[in-house]
Amino acid sequence: MNISFAIGVFGILILSHATYSTIQYRSFLKILEEEFSSPPFNVVVELILGLVLCLWAALAVPGKFLSIHPDSEENRIVSLPANLDFMIFNHRGRALPKDVNMKLKC
Amino acid sequence: MVGASEEVELNRLENQVDNGGGGVWEYLCLVRKLKVRRSDKVLKHGLSILNDSKKRSKLGGEEWTLYEQVAVAAIDCQCLDVAKDCIKALQKQFPESRRVGRLEGMLLEAKGLWADAEKAYSSLLEDNSLDQVIHKRRISMAKAQGNVSAAIEGLNKYLDIYMADHDAWRELAEIYVSLQLYKQAAFCYEELILSQPTVPLYHLAYADVLYTLGGIENLQIAKKYYAATIDLTGGKNTRALYGICLCTIALGQLIKGRNKEDKESSELHSLAATVLGKDYKYRAPDKVSLLTATLGNLKLS
Repeated sequence: MNISFAIGVFGILILSHATYSTIQYRSFLKILEEEFSSPPFNVVVELILGLVLCLWAALAVPGKFLSIHPDSEENRIVSLPANLDFMIFNHRGRALPKDVNMKLKC
Repeated sequence: MVGASEEVELNRLENQVDNGGGGVWEYLCLVRKLKVRRSDKVLKHGLSILNDSKKRSKLGGEEWTLYEQVAVAAIDCQCLDVAKDCIKALQKQFPESRRVGRLEGMLLEAKGLWADAEKAYSSLLEDNSLDQVIHKRRISMAKAQGNVSAAIEGLNKYLDIYMADHDAWRELAEIYVSLQLYKQAAFCYEELILSQPTVPLYHLAYADVLYTLGGIENLQIAKKYYAATIDLTGGKNTRALYGICLCTIALGQLIKGRNKEDKESSELHSLAATVLGKDYKYRAPDKVSLLTATLGNLKLS
């Protein structure tokens, strides 16, 4: 996890460097009084690299993904909850011997 | 709904607390969340926490929920003195509480004092006539006294008001099945499937009822619902697999005179039989011969 976190930080740094380069390029163009159409090629490459690194970190850092399929092995419904609102108490368990030690003290 | 992984976790925690390891509070919370009925274990382990004042004070505000859980478990295990003590402690903390009044009503029910319980519930209903749980307790009292027709009537009246209560629909369906009124039970299961279509066990129960009713149309619909159950459980539900095999065989017997147009049904049948065989080989290898013999006999007949 730590290396993914480091990759994420590195990706963010690359993105901020690309931002700074673009701003610098734009002020440079203003001096030359030319139109600003798009950042230079190497800034675009840097942006794509930063995107890939941040994407990797965003997927790897938070942790294990849980399954969302309702029929997957861990999500499939095995039994219904016992209908506790309609529970009745005169079942055959009444005839079973009771544990005499069961007492609520204090 | 109890998922497969939750069931594994529950069994693991149960083994752990039974053999003296820790984790009693997690076990009790999981039982409460999954709404399973393990009253003897809840009583034993809940009392072990409540009797130890150190562990009790560690719970803080949650100890009253534990008192309630242990009270219900004690009533279920017929340890009425324990239940009475728990309810007394709750009454001291929460006087004039409806939840505690409900517990007292349940205690009277368990003692068999039906008239007193009825009086207690009516007085609670006077203050608040819209309490769902008390209505349900009165219905279960009628059921416990053996008065099934009164229970059915009460449930129908309750469902007129609270149509979305799927516990009540399920209870009504089970009562109808116990009385063999399968058409009405099928209606209740249809309501359940409408409101919760992703629970495979309702599809399974509906298919069972339709299979019991019999007749060509019902069997075809039952086969579709068994298939839906298999789809929703990822093929792991043994009962649905058997259901498909039996439906195909019953349909084959009924349509014996006419032409058998649907060839795809035999594919489904053999697929289900193969999956069953694989499952038995994995889980109960000594019974595989029984399975192949039964299915072979049914196919030939």
